Amino acid sequence: MSKLFLGNTKIDFHKLSNRFYKIFIIEMIIFLSIILLTISGLLVLNLSIDFTGGTLYEVNNNSNVSTTDIEDIVNTLELNVTRYESLNEGDIYRFRTNEGSIDQENSVLTELSKFFNTPKDEIGFQRVGPTFGSEISKQGLRALIIFITFISLLISYRYEYKFAIIALIALLHDLLMCVCIYILISIEITPATIIAILTVLGYSLYDTVVIFDKLKDSSKKQKQTSISKDVLNSTFNEIIMRSINTSLTSIIPVLSLILVGNHLGLKGALSDFAIPLVIGMISGTYSSIFVTVPFLSRFLTK
Amino acid sequence: MRVLIRAILIPVIFILLFLFIDINQFTPKLGLDLQGGISVLLTAENEPELELLEQAVEIMRSRIEDFGDVQEPEISITGTKGVLVQLPGLTDQEKAIDAVGTTGLLSFRPVLSSSVDTGYSPAFIITNDPDNEGEVLTSVPEGVNEYTGISLNDEINTISYLLSDEGGFPVIYKLGPSKLTGADIENASAIVPENEWIVQLKFKENSSSKFTELTKQLAQELGEQRKLAIVLDGKVVSAPSISYEVDPNIGIDGGTAAITVGNSDSGEKANNLAVILRYGSLPVSFERSSIQKVSATLGENTLKIGVNAGLVGIVVVLLYLLSYYRLLGVLTILGLGTFGLAFYSILALLSEYQGFTLTLAGVAGIIVSIGLAADSYIVTFEKFKDELKLGRSYIYSAEKATKEAWRTILIADFVSLSAAMLLFILAIGPIKGFAISLGLATLIDLIYTRYYTRNALNLAVSVTNNPRLFFPIKRGEI
Repeated sequence: MSKLFLGNTKIDFHKLSNRFYKIFIIEMIIFLSIILLTISGLLVLNLSIDFTGGTLYEVNNNSNVSTTDIEDIVNTLELNVTRYESLNEGDIYRFRTNEGSIDQENSVLTELSKFFNTPKDEIGFQRVGPTFGSEISKQGLRALIIFITFISLLISYRYEYKFAIIALIALLHDLLMCVCIYILISIEITPATIIAILTVLGYSLYDTVVIFDKLKDSSKKQKQTSISKDVLNSTFNEIIMRSINTSLTSIIPVLSLILVGNHLGLKGALSDFAIPLVIGMISGTYSSIFVTVPFLSRFLTK
Repeated sequence: MRVLIRAILIPVIFILLFLFIDINQFTPKLGLDLQGGISVLLTAENEPELELLEQAVEIMRSRIEDFGDVQEPEISITGTKGVLVQLPGLTDQEKAIDAVGTTGLLSFRPVLSSSVDTGYSPAFIITNDPDNEGEVLTSVPEGVNEYTGISLNDEINTISYLLSDEGGFPVIYKLGPSKLTGADIENASAIVPENEWIVQLKFKENSSSKFTELTKQLAQELGEQRKLAIVLDGKVVSAPSISYEVDPNIGIDGGTAAITVGNSDSGEKANNLAVILRYGSLPVSFERSSIQKVSATLGENTLKIGVNAGLVGIVVVLLYLLSYYRLLGVLTILGLGTFGLAFYSILALLSEYQGFTLTLAGVAGIIVSIGLAADSYIVTFEKFKDELKLGRSYIYSAEKATKEAWRTILIADFVSLSAAMLLFILAIGPIKGFAISLGLATLIDLIYTRYYTRNALNLAVSVTNNPRLFFPIKRGEI
């Protein structure tokens, strides 16, 4: 253990890089096939009404309605229910309908209030116009492109343009990881998810930059202009502990969001946010070693 | 001694700041998703001028203030064509939508009588009390408030009693049914042809005869009855009198009219009136992009999770760092603890002076920043360890580690900060709150790394050189 603490581990990262590379290629193939399956309609990206438009009602089940009764109410509502789900083991029901007029929405509210024995004021309500989602996506995408360009230039200036490419590969890896896990476990994608993914990208880059900085320092210390096999190995052996510590201290607070939420019997927007964050942080820590090493070996070591 | 003072300077400053905040009872204002309420995002149909959006926001604000039961409504312009309306504490969404979404109903109505003539609301019907000699009985027509003498609802097709506070004093007008509405107006503009501001009004072609008829009738009257009231959303915004130069047999023809406004306020009043005439109430027409209602219990629950999770997270992180970095862990606890106080204080100050509200996304940003702040310590301490391993002295290693760590953290934090700034500039609504939290955390982190971590590490090495107090290793192992 104290070997790990001291960074005296003797892992030959350079030798392992081929194996890491193979793992990376396999991952990419899996990601691409998931995305292809989604495009062809076999898997579904679960978008919230913020992106599709419509109305969402969230109502406390005060009259202990059973699941079979729900089907009946769904069919009698004035607006077409596109999807509904129960949360907290049937304590809360969430309904999504197509867009409708204010009168129609009101009639749905009244019906739900009667049916679940919950005052109208207590029913959570959200309506989103059809253009809102595309607006968010457009802005998010624009933010992403500007951010990536800016960061690439920064890394190229500070280190080397090859480093920027590697950082972007790691970034792409984390982004794909998040999206694919989302598709596979079919969690709903909300604006909170977009924030979380943007955070993950920031975190991933932050982690990668810290490692690049360390690499640059080590090669300077060993009076070398380019990064050699030895520098690569010693740097990564030294940095393992910092990576473990940092990812633990970052993931613990986010994990506590999920656990505290579960403990209090409450789920909601915060866990919408925390789940992608945990996935992304783990992926970010992983990629800053397992994705950067094979590319560093390939690109740089002479 | 000097080392000690330098090390605790930053924590002491932030503790004092926190005490100041605490004594003044400043607290971060909670966003609607943490306390319940309604938020409506409106999007203008095409990209209007900023000035028009600002006018629309002002009008919405005054309409919402008329509600009475909304605490601190927040209306802000987002992006180039969005307006975000947040109504904390409100649960009736119909009311909220009415207040902000519609363009409002503008009507022109003849004045039948007014409180200027009678001294009280023309709605009051005063009769002698048959039972008590010398006493009077007051009654009001149906649909009129019996104390104020103002109509409860503005029905434009029947007689109404409506209030005006145009001239600075309240006047209640008895108004006939509406003869023309905002839809009949082609254009209106404020101009100052000679030395007085006027609002020039142009009616649509097939409406101009209606206006001529109306003015013919009014020109036969005298005094208050000669006035034409311009009513918006149940309130008389202006009641100009028909000029005595107008011939009662001809009226005002040609489809245009001019309202003299006076010269007291360099045209502000004239401009406002022109805007009202042109656009109804809102100078821009909006699409309701998003409406979200959060019940108060859901809001409270979310806050509870956020706060508890934050606390649990911090405690676990601190315990971990303490078990790993020992003495340095103690310094980290002091650093992260006061980091939290500083964060809270600055958020409270931003709420107080800049109208910042802490939203769910903001809470998420804070929780993420715990990891970010802890990382700065980890990077520094790991570099310190690397230097020690090379056989250097404790004092030299501390100096070198803080210097190098500062460079690393500076560039890594710069990445975070530019992400936060970019999100802030480009994002809409909730993402902004997150960006502010993240950006703020990064800045505080930089201050701490530069002025606290460095001095704290120097302090630690000046106290002891026992590796067991720094890392989970034995003396011989380093």
